[in-house]
Amino acid sequence: MSALRAPAPYNWRHMLRRHAALVALVALTLLVGLREPGFLRPETMMVLVSDTTTLFLMAAGATFVIMLGSIDLSIQAVASLASVMIATMFPGWGPWAIPAALLAGAACGLACGWSHTRLRIPSFIATLAVSGVVVSLSFWLSNEASVAITQVHRDAWLGWATGQSLGIRHEVYVGFGALLFLIFVQKATVFGRLIESIGHGELAAIASGIRVTRVKLWVFVLSGLLAALSGIVFSARMASGSPTLANEFLLPSIAAIVVGGTALTGGVGGIWQTYLGALIVSVLRIGMTFVGINVFAQQIVFGTVLIVAVAFTIDRSRIRVVK
Amino acid sequence: MSARAASTPAGAAEPAALEIVDATKAFPGVVALDRVSLRVGRGEVVGLIGENGAGKSSLVKVLTGVYTPDSGEIRVAGRKVEFHSPRDAFDHGIGLVFQEQSLMLNMSIAENMFLGRESEFASFGVLNKRRLHAATRRELAKVDLDIAPSTICAKLSFGQRQLVEIAKALSLDGRIDGAITVLLDEPTSVLEEREVKLLFRKVRELRARASFVFISHRLDEVLEISDRVYVMRDGKVTGEVKAGEADVHQLHRLMVGRSLQAEYYREARQAAPGTRVVLRAQGLQRHGAFHDIKFELHESEVLGIAGVVGSGREELARCLAGLESLDGGTVEVEGQALLPGSATAAVRAGIGYIPRERKVEGIIGAQSVAENMTLARLSGFATAGVLRRRREREVARHWIDRLHIKTPGEATPIGSLSGGNQQKVVLAKWRIAGSKVLVLDHPTRGVDVGAKEDVYELIRDMTQEGLSLILLADTLEELIGLSGRILVMRDGRISAEVNSAAGTKPQQVALIEHMV
Repeated sequence: MSALRAPAPYNWRHMLRRHAALVALVALTLLVGLREPGFLRPETMMVLVSDTTTLFLMAAGATFVIMLGSIDLSIQAVASLASVMIATMFPGWGPWAIPAALLAGAACGLACGWSHTRLRIPSFIATLAVSGVVVSLSFWLSNEASVAITQVHRDAWLGWATGQSLGIRHEVYVGFGALLFLIFVQKATVFGRLIESIGHGELAAIASGIRVTRVKLWVFVLSGLLAALSGIVFSARMASGSPTLANEFLLPSIAAIVVGGTALTGGVGGIWQTYLGALIVSVLRIGMTFVGINVFAQQIVFGTVLIVAVAFTIDRSRIRVVK
Repeated sequence: MSARAASTPAGAAEPAALEIVDATKAFPGVVALDRVSLRVGRGEVVGLIGENGAGKSSLVKVLTGVYTPDSGEIRVAGRKVEFHSPRDAFDHGIGLVFQEQSLMLNMSIAENMFLGRESEFASFGVLNKRRLHAATRRELAKVDLDIAPSTICAKLSFGQRQLVEIAKALSLDGRIDGAITVLLDEPTSVLEEREVKLLFRKVRELRARASFVFISHRLDEVLEISDRVYVMRDGKVTGEVKAGEADVHQLHRLMVGRSLQAEYYREARQAAPGTRVVLRAQGLQRHGAFHDIKFELHESEVLGIAGVVGSGREELARCLAGLESLDGGTVEVEGQALLPGSATAAVRAGIGYIPRERKVEGIIGAQSVAENMTLARLSGFATAGVLRRRREREVARHWIDRLHIKTPGEATPIGSLSGGNQQKVVLAKWRIAGSKVLVLDHPTRGVDVGAKEDVYELIRDMTQEGLSLILLADTLEELIGLSGRILVMRDGRISAEVNSAAGTKPQQVALIEHMV
């Protein structure tokens, strides 16, 4: 929500609704902590926050897409592609593999955005299709196998993601850095304002002369870029790249966005909400491991959480047709 | 039915066909209906007049179950009824013929006639077309239409469509034992004179089976067809007169609550147009909408465009705003040719658009007043892509003061303001964007009566400051009152150009003869 908005009249239901994600995060953390006190130890919390970075990065770009009222289903494929690219390119390209992977991510976003806006294909289909192409590309690049990143390369060029400074993992810095930067983009720039305007009232934005197509294109590019960054950070942690590295990340990403409070109908929501949502997903994920729930059962939980979150966040009484 | 052949006018002891008693309906900020009472006797034709926003449409919506009144009641043949949907009203014998016709143009007459009632002609889910068509033919005969029931409605003239709608409303006859009341909501606005005559003859003939409520702002027609006339203003019934005892001027006075039009439309402030041409259109065409459109718009001029639905004027307005593309011709703004079909290009060239659908294209309801005001020129409120919020707020406050916008603050979501104030924000948006030409597509639609005058005042302010306006108005009266020159469009072409300078305002007839 913009800072320009008038303060809402105080009432607890409104407050609860507004801060539902934060309340849920604290409640869940305490709940798991109650069962397993070890969960609340600073070291565990640190792991939780640093592990959240990759999920957050992937979800952050898609948040802008969803704020437009569109969706980006290509993020997990793009993240995997980026991991494969740096793993296979480090020996030949050295550190240039990283910008190359980011650029490839941006190009995937461009492809999604272009087919969505210029060919006027629903974003759901456009990004799903691009996702298919990207997956095949990753398999081809990696010879259909996971590619290890040597310790030497990792130390030399991925230290910014894997190392530690002042006793805090670099992943935490990367996550916070991205968080602050993207909040700035959302709240303080013309680009961020236009995303919100288009999400709330695309036709009014068009009639006001806004280059809606161009804004959308950039949003998809940003989403691809951040997905690639997420893939790089993830592969740094795993010390390998793989065409299936980020599989099972799409659902949690969308869940993080929606649980945070960004509405699929566009306009409402934002980066901070997605960060909270990503933390909630992480608490669920790690909490479930702590409590001893099978890893394969976790997608059941994410799926359920997604449905429940959407049911709560969208005022469906005002939408006449759900497609 | 035959027992009712001798209809009695209102006032007799028998219960009225339809009666509304003290109906009140309020919306946040607006009382749409304020203790409205109205009585329609059996076989009576009751006129209902009032300006836009006077409450006529709300009354129709209450009568057809679209709105539920907050208080008061509706009685049909003396019995209290409650309508929760248009279907409810229909089942109680109330049929509606809409101002904007409601036939599905891609379907046949028969399908339209019994839309939603197909089951009456079906056995085991299969539609018996022969029975359907036979029944349709019977209904059409009531209005003397001899057209095959299988005819697709798009092929009918406006007048024929109107008769089909009336036949549809009268098809209640076979299903309802009690009184039938047909609401005719602005039924003549799209009709040619010959068709109006036919419609009136039919209404007179059909009084034996039904009562009519005739809603219009064409006062002469109302007087001609009605037995009694109710006048509404500001959500209240302000007068009830016998048609035989009233004249047009009297009705008009009751309707507008003032006698001087010139004062209402701020004619004294109507600026004489400058000589400089701001916008020049040449050879504009869009297939299926308009052709050979050529005009010049001068500095400080209000150029009105008149025309019925389908005349192409709405498409023309949208093309000028860049929201639809042209198939030919050029638009120049201050000598610069404009890229057609691009709203961005139009806005850059200095054209602003006040859309008819304000909530969809004019405002972004969830965003603040300030955010809405600066939308068309955000780059002016940013340095290197970073917003200058304080500057934005200052400018917003300036315009809130200047246009007397009633809002708790510049940070208030615009959706919570009244229609008139929203419209002022939209005007402020274009002033901030530095527009030189504004295309006003029904700028007073959905604006309450008081706020309309504010909009008129603003229109005069803008022309005095050198802006040029292209106006599509809600009523001819408004168009004549505000414009300095009027282009009349018919079937996609400009059929006349009428001078409407202050002091030499044309009569409505002078425009209508070129419209139809």
